Amino acid sequence: MSETDALEARLEALTDEDLARGLALFRGKLGEAEAAYLQTCVRCGLCADACHYYRSDHELASIPAHKLAQVAAVFRAHFTTGGRLAPGLGGARRFDRDMVRAWVEALFGRCSLCGRCSLNCTTGIHISEVLKAARGTLTEMGLIPADLLQVVTTSLETGNNMGISREDWLETVQWIEEEMQQDIGDPAARIPVDKQGARVLFTVNPREPKFFPLCLQASATVLNAAGEDWTVASEGWDLTNYGLFSASPAHGGAIAANLMASMERLGCGTLVIGECGHGFAAARWEAAEWLRQRPGFRIVSFLELMEEYFQQGRLRVDPAQVAERATLHDPCNTVRHGGIVEPQRAILRRCLADFVEMTPNRAENFCCGGGGGQLSMSRYRQKRLQSGGVKAEQIRRTGARLVVAPCHNCIDQLMELNREYKLGVVIKTVAEVVADALVRAPAQPREESHVPVAR
Amino acid sequence: MTAMEALRIGVVVCGLGAAVALAVQVARARAFGRRPLYAPAAGSAARGVFYAFGPGMSPMAKESTRTHPWAYALGVAYHLGVFAAFGYLLLLLIGAERVLDPAMLPGRALGVLLFAGVLGGLGLLVRRFTTAHLRGLSVPDDAVANLLTTGFVALAGARLWSPALEPALLATAMLLLCYVPLGKIRHCVFFFVSRRHLGRHFGRRGTFPLRH
Repeated sequence: MSETDALEARLEALTDEDLARGLALFRGKLGEAEAAYLQTCVRCGLCADACHYYRSDHELASIPAHKLAQVAAVFRAHFTTGGRLAPGLGGARRFDRDMVRAWVEALFGRCSLCGRCSLNCTTGIHISEVLKAARGTLTEMGLIPADLLQVVTTSLETGNNMGISREDWLETVQWIEEEMQQDIGDPAARIPVDKQGARVLFTVNPREPKFFPLCLQASATVLNAAGEDWTVASEGWDLTNYGLFSASPAHGGAIAANLMASMERLGCGTLVIGECGHGFAAARWEAAEWLRQRPGFRIVSFLELMEEYFQQGRLRVDPAQVAERATLHDPCNTVRHGGIVEPQRAILRRCLADFVEMTPNRAENFCCGGGGGQLSMSRYRQKRLQSGGVKAEQIRRTGARLVVAPCHNCIDQLMELNREYKLGVVIKTVAEVVADALVRAPAQPREESHVPVAR
Repeated sequence: MTAMEALRIGVVVCGLGAAVALAVQVARARAFGRRPLYAPAAGSAARGVFYAFGPGMSPMAKESTRTHPWAYALGVAYHLGVFAAFGYLLLLLIGAERVLDPAMLPGRALGVLLFAGVLGGLGLLVRRFTTAHLRGLSVPDDAVANLLTTGFVALAGARLWSPALEPALLATAMLLLCYVPLGKIRHCVFFFVSRRHLGRHFGRRGTFPLRH
């Protein structure tokens, strides 16, 4: 049975009890803010062009207000007096099988939770936050696309979302360390593993050891060049958290606990989230809410840390070493949801000879289409690539040959867009650009910081 | 009691009823509860709220309004007209409407605002039904709310010149006030609630104030 058929079968099998339970789950996900948002929309439609889905397909169902209306209809029908008395007036609708089906299509199939509509809402509705609450309801009803759930399950079962074994991870780290030493000509450069009490615990997206080792090598190069006291963890090293996309606090909390446990085990002072948008938003903003606990340490993006190095004069770069025209993609979860807007720009202005902004940029930038777990949901692949056309056009207009994207989901999507829309660009992380631009001092003897690892 | 006095009392009663109903709705929304926040803030919630109600309201602050200047202008004109009409209604209720003689400047200014409000309301209604995606988004509430409100503003303007229309204005005001809690006009209160939440959220995260 295909994934689409399986989800359809689950929808068909919904009983009245399932629907009642779903409604109770939905009720439990609403707070004061969401209850207000759900009663505020005036259907002005000005949010339409804010959405990359609507911009690319011009379908009514892709308008953020329409997606919000699907959720608001249920809220009105079940939780407001007006909706119960006159459901037809404001479009109230009961939470039945058809409505649930409409939710699945709207919330998983036509939304990357990028939040651009929220910034553009004329009445101030945080639309993506409401849609996330409804998505979480579907997840807990078992109506999440199987391939998205699989990523979560793999994380929960193996400690990382690609199922990389501890041995493979440590071997890869060792291999990347050797490559880095050769590349920078410094045999003392290290990727410390499980260094107790290191100042910084650096966390990694599993796509780096699996598919993009040069990204990890670049990050390690920068950390070494800055003389950082750092380590990676042998376990609990994966920064990703697809609980953000399943919108289930249970998923998110359980995965986030891995990083928190690593911090506790190693006694590090700062948790550094490598270049990954959703990983940053999950660890920095959501984990504390899922776990209902204020972290006892600092959590920062690697972008912030690199900018600190520059401000402290710990990195020297020569922009002439990266001469081609470059532009910057703003991952929604780093920038709009994460609040990290300027550090990456400050870094790139130092490292690039020809840096141009996309239009629009910063918090107003468009989603690439790969967020919200879209990359893992095969049934929506065509829609995802179509919606990415907006980003492709943005890139094309800059004339850039290099696209810098501090997020691995974005990078995956941008690579597909590069092929689909024949952009002819190279895509790199910010750390890769910094590593390319680094002016390396001759290798000097340094204090041994390597901690032997049980491999 | 004259019929006019009865109508005026009716407006006050409907106004109080609307206020109570809206207060109940807000209280019910608040009853959903506010979760404590554990993640340390990166920015300031207060600055975010200030931005949301201040610079964030500028037409240049959002792409949605920057790129739709006509819709924005119609909306502003409409809302100014509505506020002006309610101000005029208040003067009528306390018997102070003579301060707005249509032959004098303040009265003329009010007339302009009300006229602009009617144009804004009708413009938005036409836009709603001539734009495919807006038609698709619309529910009966959109037409009812607009017609009631625009009618109220139009009658306020007409009353400025013709006192004989006052009963019609008061009756329309009663209808409108009864309708406020039932449909989208409830955004007259929820706009402030939602925008405050939005400002707090993005302010804490350091996204607000937006940098362009």
